[in-house]
Amino acid sequence: MNCVELQQSLAEVEDGSSLEQRAHLRACPACSALVNELNLIVAAAGELQAAEEPSPRVWNSIEFALRQEGLIRPQRPLVPSFSARWGAARWLVPMAAMLLLALGIYVRRESLPNQMAQQASVAVPAANSSDLNDADLMQEVVDNEPAMKTQYAENLRQVNESIRDAQGVVDESPNDEDARRSLMDAYQQKSMLFQMAMDRSLP
Amino acid sequence: MRPGIGDLTEPRQPKGTEPSEAELIERAKLGDAEAFQGLYDKHKRRVYSLCLRMTANTAEAEDLAQEAFLQLYRKIATFRGESAFSTWLHRLSVNVVLMHLRKKSLPVVSLEETTQGTEEDSPKRDFGADDVALAGSIDRMQLQRAVESLPPGYRMIFVLHDIEGYEHNEIAKIAGCSIGNSKSQLHKARMKLRDLLKMNRAEEAGKTRAG
Repeated sequence: MNCVELQQSLAEVEDGSSLEQRAHLRACPACSALVNELNLIVAAAGELQAAEEPSPRVWNSIEFALRQEGLIRPQRPLVPSFSARWGAARWLVPMAAMLLLALGIYVRRESLPNQMAQQASVAVPAANSSDLNDADLMQEVVDNEPAMKTQYAENLRQVNESIRDAQGVVDESPNDEDARRSLMDAYQQKSMLFQMAMDRSLP
Repeated sequence: MRPGIGDLTEPRQPKGTEPSEAELIERAKLGDAEAFQGLYDKHKRRVYSLCLRMTANTAEAEDLAQEAFLQLYRKIATFRGESAFSTWLHRLSVNVVLMHLRKKSLPVVSLEETTQGTEEDSPKRDFGADDVALAGSIDRMQLQRAVESLPPGYRMIFVLHDIEGYEHNEIAKIAGCSIGNSKSQLHKARMKLRDLLKMNRAEEAGKTRAG
């Protein structure tokens, strides 16, 4: 076996342990060094396993998707404890979001199509009034899970943008079913975001 | 001893401080958010590291890890425990990454393997002659960078075999190539890594001399 044959044979017998390989390695310092170096690489490779930590964004996105898909079901304690700072007001934030959502559903499902334009314009301040609670949401996140602040801020920005966009389309085409559905979806996402923040803050 | 593909979890906490994996799986089937997060925490590093090694891109790796866990959670109700949960998750993660690579039209196995080899891949007679020796241990960060520099086909085989502990017959099934092809690719990947690591050391030695 010569050097070229040895190198080719390493694909089949990786550690150079066959009789022919060993005979060549004893006589050839260069090939011997090659095999040692390849073994060093193999040994070091094992240390790369599970070495990296994903950013918190990954779990946050997974959780968000799981809630959207209904795979996570709310499991609240029967008697939740309240933080001294927020007290009963702690529940007002998600309740406000849920009320907003319920109002949106009621207005859009029950109204006659020719009244849609007027009602849609009324819904704009409703969406804006929900913005007043965004600061509360972010404060809650900062208090309980500061590492998630950036992700929540981004999610909140995106969902508010979706609401604005969908609202704009509804204003232009009040009879557009798809647009109305998009608006409802956007409100639902926002409600879910509040729900997630509140779940995290529970003990 | 290197961990094999049957041992994919994060280092365990002392007993009694956290629920078992089986318990987490059952609770996750019922939609328990904490159980989902518990399973994620147990396996996130392994899954994310696999995605990162195979794509060499942080953003892609995060998206793929997310997709792998989402697919897992969507199917968790069907998990009956016949195989190890970690093995199931790992195989699913590999499939997610391979699908992604295929969508990007990156060769999962190098096309050059279908030929007799190129001049570049042919054995060199002068190896080890005037090269910098890779004596001692290999720095983890340097190896990581070198793995990221490998062509996608080589990188995938190297990651699956030398990092994740898959056997050639398993890789052949996953990647849709022959066992011989997998062996050949792995050897070439290691040779390429050796070259990259040596170049890196030579550059560092040059800087030291210049400084």
